[in-house]
Amino acid sequence: MRLLPPGSFVWLVLHELRLSRRPAGKRSRWLMAIGGALVLGWIALGVWIGSLLAHVPIVPGAMGMAGAALGAILLFTFMTTQSILGSQRTLYEAGDLDLLFSAPIPPRTVMRAKLVGIAASVVLTFAIIVLPVALPLAWFGHPQLFGIPALLLALALTAACFGLAITLILARLAGPRAARTVGQIVAALSGGSVFVASQYFSNGSPRGQRGAMMEALFEKMVASGFGTHGVGALPGLAAFGDPFAVTALLAGSLLLFILTTRGLQSLFLSGYRAGGMKLSRPKSSNRSVARHFHNRLFGAVFAKEWRLMARDPALAFQVVLRLIYLAPLFFIIMRQGDDDHVLIAPSLAFSSVLIAGQIVSSLVWLAVSGEDTPDLIKVAPVRKNEIDTAKLSAALVMSAPLALLVPLGMAWTTSIPAALFTLAVTGVAGWMSGMIEVTFAKPAPRSTFRKRRGGGSFVRGIAQFAVTIFFGAIAAGGVWLLTTTFQLPHLPTHL
Amino acid sequence: MNSPALRLTQIHKSFDKPVITGLDLTVEAGQLYALLGPNGAGKTTTLRMAVGLTEPDQGSVEIYGIDAVRDSLAAKAITAWLPDEPMLYDKLTPSEYLGFVAGLWRIPPRDAAPEAERLLRWLELWDVRDTRCEGFSRGMKQKVALAGAMIHDPRLLILDEPLTGLDAAMARSVKDALRAAVDQGKTVIVTTHILEVAERLADRIGIIAGGKLLAEGTLAELRAHAGAEDDTLEDTFIRLTSAPAAIPA
Repeated sequence: MRLLPPGSFVWLVLHELRLSRRPAGKRSRWLMAIGGALVLGWIALGVWIGSLLAHVPIVPGAMGMAGAALGAILLFTFMTTQSILGSQRTLYEAGDLDLLFSAPIPPRTVMRAKLVGIAASVVLTFAIIVLPVALPLAWFGHPQLFGIPALLLALALTAACFGLAITLILARLAGPRAARTVGQIVAALSGGSVFVASQYFSNGSPRGQRGAMMEALFEKMVASGFGTHGVGALPGLAAFGDPFAVTALLAGSLLLFILTTRGLQSLFLSGYRAGGMKLSRPKSSNRSVARHFHNRLFGAVFAKEWRLMARDPALAFQVVLRLIYLAPLFFIIMRQGDDDHVLIAPSLAFSSVLIAGQIVSSLVWLAVSGEDTPDLIKVAPVRKNEIDTAKLSAALVMSAPLALLVPLGMAWTTSIPAALFTLAVTGVAGWMSGMIEVTFAKPAPRSTFRKRRGGGSFVRGIAQFAVTIFFGAIAAGGVWLLTTTFQLPHLPTHL
Repeated sequence: MNSPALRLTQIHKSFDKPVITGLDLTVEAGQLYALLGPNGAGKTTTLRMAVGLTEPDQGSVEIYGIDAVRDSLAAKAITAWLPDEPMLYDKLTPSEYLGFVAGLWRIPPRDAAPEAERLLRWLELWDVRDTRCEGFSRGMKQKVALAGAMIHDPRLLILDEPLTGLDAAMARSVKDALRAAVDQGKTVIVTTHILEVAERLADRIGIIAGGKLLAEGTLAELRAHAGAEDDTLEDTFIRLTSAPAAIPA
């Protein structure tokens, strides 16, 4: 960097790259070491696979082309998602645009450097996943696969342009706050939907049909000429080293990059200016302030926690999204129903405990660890256990609508005693899970919810897992006893 | 005999290195006390120990005769703390924030709501009472936090750089309010880097450096202590703390 002229485009790009490789907050040496070991292991595996397949011919048949096109679409989706988040960080969080725009550097150079920074950050993330396998394969006898890095680069640059355009258009149409919220929800949804789809294909489909469904779908795509004709063939051809396809994709993405920086410059500048302006809409009101005051501490804490959650839709969405990661369990339960209907009600009771544990622990983390002003709570004349109890109660009340879903369903389809028993155990498990979260609470910004950084996270995770399994087993066992010993009606077979 | 508003006795506090070493500080009730010191002198640590945010390694903290370590809730109930970074929730409105703070101090709504309205009107926040704080300027946030500090009518107000971010008119208004609070019998302790504020406003001034109280008294007493009776507070402060760094040519 020292050899480059300061303030030049490449100098700025390198500056962006340096920033993108430095994560916010401290990262423990252990985690760094584990991460490094995993990457090395992945590279070693790639080298082994490469040497193993050195003499196996890899030819771009219809299946290979369709696979490459499908992979490119999936990669592009993830890359665009990342680019939307990267664009939001650039516009609203990085905080360095004031400095860059006040420097004697043309705004377009700044924007180009930022866009390359976003693309580079995206391409590096996916390069770690793809290249350790692709490059050894190319090196050990399949040089045509050297087209894969070029394909990655073109996809990342295109995705960065799309991500920035989506962010800027959203900001223009709906304002910076809505742009942030919508962007985060879109990003979470795209990740979640791919996960649910993958779980459906691996667990959800009827027994014996899992592989067949995927295969049939893929064969249908191949038969329809997916990834083998016209522009759709370019990703496949590029991945298999066709020089024309590689050149066309790189040139196309470069052209898009130039058009984006030229066409969206004014939108970028207005987006940046709007980002620095007031996020909240001034509200005129004739109402008195008395409605915001409460007689009890719980009322004040609940109102505050509820408002903070309701006014952060992206965060609330992330809490609900955590339930998506329970999808494998849901699909397994549904599949159990094919074999033994007696097990459905106990399985549902178990999943009720799991759902409650997940939601309560998320909300308690936000209320206790994600407290924005811990000092205000500490200087107040309130005992810590009082405030923790109030926050835990608020989290339980907020999670009740979702935690009630399964017991209500059971009351309707199985029996009221079984539903009541499930509800009681779910409540106790939620409380216990929340207490574990309170015990290991450590201040952290609410924005880190997804990563849930904080002390004792490993022990906390183990303790919550144990509580969930223990109470889930009690719920399942109790419901099984109720439905078999006392001959209560089972779930209808069509479920 | 009346207890002092704040009494710190032989306070020691270390983090990586000693920050406060054997600090004795007494602030009598009904005074406006300015605590001055260079950056890193230990002012904020001292005040954070007074309000119970940081525990001293040694020594005792008393607020109006209440042992603030043993009976912290009683001490907190009559104390307000306003740090230099406002303790706010960006997604709450000023009136919702005051509702939450009043709930923490368990002020009945019939008392808290009118007081909130008075504070919001005085601090020129009434028109934005239902607007979220996230878009507020630094000064407006500071005003919301100030309202939060005053809503429970504390006997002891401890404010760390309270005028940061306020415009001249509002800074004047806050200074008048602090003075008025003292006239009503309350005690105010402020830290500030604006020596003119301390000079004009404070009944007594304490100068702290290297974790120790170097000098304390009225402005006249400090001048006498520094041995230069015609000095400004700035001169006295620099004389007592350290020689200023030479400005490079």
